[in-house]
Amino acid sequence: MVEVKNLVKRYGNHIAVDNLSFTVDKGQILGFLGPNGAGKSTTMNIITGYISASEGTVTVNGIDVFEEPEEVKKMIGYLPELPPLYPELTVLEYLQFVADIKKVKRSERKKMVEEIMDTTKITDMKDRLIKHLSKGYKQRVGLAQAIMGYPELIILDEPTVGLDPKQIIEIRELIRELSKNHTVILSSHIMQEVNAVCDSILIIDKGKFVLQDKPENLSMHFGSTGGLKLVVRGDKEIVINELNKIDKITKIDESEALEEGTTRLTLYCDENEDIREDVFYSMSGIKTPILEMQSIRMSLEDIFLKVTQGNDSYLEGEEKDPDGDYIEDDKVEYDEIDAGNDRDESTEELRAEEEGSTDAGDL
Amino acid sequence: MLAIYKKELRAYFTSMIGYVFIALFLAIIGIHFYMYNLLNRVANFEYTVAQVSFIFVLLVPLLTMRLMAEENKQKTDQLLFTSPVTAKDIIMGKYFAVFTILCIVIAVISSYPLIMTLYGDVPFATSYASLIGFVLLGGAYIAMGLYLSSLTDSQVVAAVITFIVFFATLFMEGIARSLSTNSRTAFIFFIVLIAAICLILWTMMRNLPVCIGTGIIGAGILTAIYLLKPTMLDGSIVRVFNWLSVTVRFNNFYMGIFDLADIIYYLSITFVFLFLSIQVIKKKRWS
Repeated sequence: MVEVKNLVKRYGNHIAVDNLSFTVDKGQILGFLGPNGAGKSTTMNIITGYISASEGTVTVNGIDVFEEPEEVKKMIGYLPELPPLYPELTVLEYLQFVADIKKVKRSERKKMVEEIMDTTKITDMKDRLIKHLSKGYKQRVGLAQAIMGYPELIILDEPTVGLDPKQIIEIRELIRELSKNHTVILSSHIMQEVNAVCDSILIIDKGKFVLQDKPENLSMHFGSTGGLKLVVRGDKEIVINELNKIDKITKIDESEALEEGTTRLTLYCDENEDIREDVFYSMSGIKTPILEMQSIRMSLEDIFLKVTQGNDSYLEGEEKDPDGDYIEDDKVEYDEIDAGNDRDESTEELRAEEEGSTDAGDL
Repeated sequence: MLAIYKKELRAYFTSMIGYVFIALFLAIIGIHFYMYNLLNRVANFEYTVAQVSFIFVLLVPLLTMRLMAEENKQKTDQLLFTSPVTAKDIIMGKYFAVFTILCIVIAVISSYPLIMTLYGDVPFATSYASLIGFVLLGGAYIAMGLYLSSLTDSQVVAAVITFIVFFATLFMEGIARSLSTNSRTAFIFFIVLIAAICLILWTMMRNLPVCIGTGIIGAGILTAIYLLKPTMLDGSIVRVFNWLSVTVRFNNFYMGIFDLADIIYYLSITFVFLFLSIQVIKKKRWS
């Protein structure tokens, strides 16, 4: 459906998109991942025909964006980073205007506007001026704008920014719903989102293609590692000495203890090894009670950080779901979002720590 | 185009700008109409129209400043430029929305000569010819304002620049009158002009050969004219300034001269600036 070939975008000497190629199949949801400034928005702007490329081609349904922009624009709905809203219009007026410029047939217009307000849950707000809406509602009006006319290709730049967890789940449901009849490209910073919604994930960094694969296959690209995060009451040296006796542990990292008299460690081992019992018996042997124990697994975040940070790779703790699956169950997913927010902070923390450690790259 | 036209027109009347523009316009014209025509018992409405032509300088920036600058700032241009509407549709829709507001005012004003028929004979031909000139002048100013608004993403900057440019067009005529007409001054003036053009080209394109090439060719042609046929340059500065002065031609209308050349002049100014606005939009895509 969408084919991007050798796309290059230069701003003077700065290269925003560097020889990027990928394809999206019909009915697929493609997740676009990358750190800030990776070129996600630029790429999206090029596909929608908002800006041009320096080199390369983009075709949608076989039609070249640069040669026949009007034709391609008919097939695309786009929600940019900032929803393009007119604050002085009411929601209804705005959506009617959008329907008008998207050339929705006059006879279908009223029904479609109502239908879309319904699916994006903004019917209650239809007579409010857009400038009086909260960020979440503005985002939803933006989304309504993007799906107006039910274009074949819907491009969403960070669609869930500014929404509360309940709305995020609703929007994800909506995106999944949309993907039945539409092709969707979305970008995001939130890994769970991409993991939960997308059929295919594309990671780019500094404008360059890093990898594209199904979410479940991503971890295969990297030798994944298992391990434990541990907080133990006891002297650091004694604890480490004791833990070194366990052969399965390949590496021990120290972190700064948050409580007095405790030791905070990260233990690494091969993924298929289970060291939890060994650690338990070893610690109980020297009477140093375990206060916290947490399994680590390679999450999408880790993959993301690993591929986008080059040698600065590191691992980060994550609670393992009991059933290992948080996609199906909304309640669990809800918790995951909160966990995700916490994790962002701990990510920063960990990064600072890891930068000090010289052998972080050997993981 | 119709969608954009309707939206813009609505925007003027949901905010205050549209009403303020119409009210101020009518107030200023009303006062002049009363002072010149009614109080002094002069039947020539064209005098009033000529007196108030400065009002475009004050009021048109009010209408045009937000046209494109606001879209650029709110990033709503992303919606417009990724929708199946062409740059031409966008610019024309916006232009006609502002033009409609001007027409509302003109419609009200055009009843004034009729009012005067109550008191005696009114020279309708010159009155309405001057009004047609007035509309054409306004249309040209609106196109200029729209173009200047498309260059920036700040309404204030757009308004200030528009105001300065409009003000300059008012003074062109006066400047032109006081300028020397001999060929040597003209030669120096055009050399400076070519240098300025080269400088602008350099800041826009950063392409040395093109700049120097333009400069050399321009200076060469100019020198050739100066050496071979200096009479061609006589009075040319005045001609240039008069040409730049949008108001000079309006005088013809008010003196009752209904010249096709003047109409074409205004229409082509309008056309050029609308064309440039469309190019600005298209260029943004390619920058």
